[in-house]
Amino acid sequence: MTKRAYYLAAPALLVFALFILLPLLNVIRYAGWDWSGLSEPTRIGLQNFRQLLRDRDLGRSLLTTGIFMLMMLPSFLYLSRTIAIAIDGVKLERFIKALLFLPGLMTVAGSATAWYLLYNPNYGLITELTGLSLPWDYETWAALIYIVLFTLWQYTGYGVLVVSAALKGIPKGIKEAAQIDGATDAQVQRYIISPMLNPTMLFLTIIGSVFAIQSYTAVFLLTRGGPFGSTRVIGYYLYETAFEQLQLGYGAAMTLFVLVITLVVAAFQARLLSGRAA
Amino acid sequence: MRVFQRVVTAVFCVFVALPILWLLYAAFLPPEAVLNARLLPTGVSFANFKELAGTGVGRALVVSVLASGLTVAGQLVFGLGAAYAMRQGLKLLPLILLILALPTELLLVPLYRELQVFGMLDSLWVLFVPFLASPMVIFLLFQSLKRLPNDMLEAASLDGAGHFVIVSRIVAPLLRPELAAAGILGFAAHWNLVLYPKVMVSDKALWTVQVVLNDLLRNRPLDWGLLGAAALVTTLPILVLYVVFEKRLIEVFETNFK
Repeated sequence: MTKRAYYLAAPALLVFALFILLPLLNVIRYAGWDWSGLSEPTRIGLQNFRQLLRDRDLGRSLLTTGIFMLMMLPSFLYLSRTIAIAIDGVKLERFIKALLFLPGLMTVAGSATAWYLLYNPNYGLITELTGLSLPWDYETWAALIYIVLFTLWQYTGYGVLVVSAALKGIPKGIKEAAQIDGATDAQVQRYIISPMLNPTMLFLTIIGSVFAIQSYTAVFLLTRGGPFGSTRVIGYYLYETAFEQLQLGYGAAMTLFVLVITLVVAAFQARLLSGRAA
Repeated sequence: MRVFQRVVTAVFCVFVALPILWLLYAAFLPPEAVLNARLLPTGVSFANFKELAGTGVGRALVVSVLASGLTVAGQLVFGLGAAYAMRQGLKLLPLILLILALPTELLLVPLYRELQVFGMLDSLWVLFVPFLASPMVIFLLFQSLKRLPNDMLEAASLDGAGHFVIVSRIVAPLLRPELAAAGILGFAAHWNLVLYPKVMVSDKALWTVQVVLNDLLRNRPLDWGLLGAAALVTTLPILVLYVVFEKRLIEVFETNFK
């Protein structure tokens, strides 16, 4: 009887097989192609992989992705935690959560437009009002920070919700007992709340890295990889190579390369996560 | 410490609210106010929205609503089936989590070729068929299904109800809040796609709102009012859903991520 229930998973599995598994297997074949996307592909053996090893921009964009994650993840974790603790039980809690979660649902293009209208160095409101020359356009370090800020703007609300949920799961008695024993607010936070939040922070680290990796859409909308390639994260570099320079065969080889890196990380993450969810 | 945390929170709230408020404001600015760089209130104007009507946003809205709507319908029906099968013992969780952690940009190139071979490029199909199942929706529904007592499901099957009947008559009504929440998240995720529709569809008639908005951002960078209005119109459907379901959405989130 229960076995028959398994068939109900068939449609979803079919979609995954056709549109995730199959393309990921096929990419091995496509990686050996010289193919612009418009013409019919021709086979060129391992040439794409040879190009991969010589591609300096690829190395650079992996580095950029790494730096981006190093900037984004700690701030994401810190803000989610701090804000969730600060608003816990406060009158405005619900309003603040609703506000902070809103950007995550707003369309990325809409959000990018909002940011553009406010912070664009040439036409934005801030420049218009203050005459300040905002440095995202020409300073390489600033441009990456700009994308980090945008990503934090988009997703911190999500982190706050998750931490807040975990806080609600901590029994009040524990905190009160510590306070009766003379623990200060800071001590309660440090020795009681923090350790109990550890599994949640681990979950957020994983989710945060997914958010960070997905930032390539923000890069596309806000900086197009510039200035001087300083915001060209790996996802954007892949898009650019394949669909703007029309080297889809090379793009496939690059996909395969990144896929191998990701699968190792993802398998590790899935183990951590299923341990938590079970 | 408490004070410092509150200051961080307050500053961050302002940081989050600012672009949204300015967007709302710019959308209703009369075009001449922008030209003269007089940004203090000069009255509400709908001129931007009138101008927007001529940019193809109306058609794009229809395409987007259709594509995202069909996507969500599929994700909920298929997702409920998969989550139920998992609840009955099918071990899919590692696979679902693996797919969830997979960066979507890796699919762009191979999917392009596959959809080209299938002959689906430049059609409405390409905008929703590959999205009909979502690991995020399945994960959320499975988490909530785990909380349903076993007895309830067993009692129904003892009464001779098949799995299909149990899912559609018993499980689905019980999970209505979760389905609503998962539906909104799925809708928003699909509605927000930018690069995928841009790559897969070149026919302007099938552009989604995000593609149109990106196009405006590139071609009319000085038109604050128009851009503001466009961003507002394209965000509006999500905004409405959010305002209606905000409480439920946050509740579902909190119970499932404990």
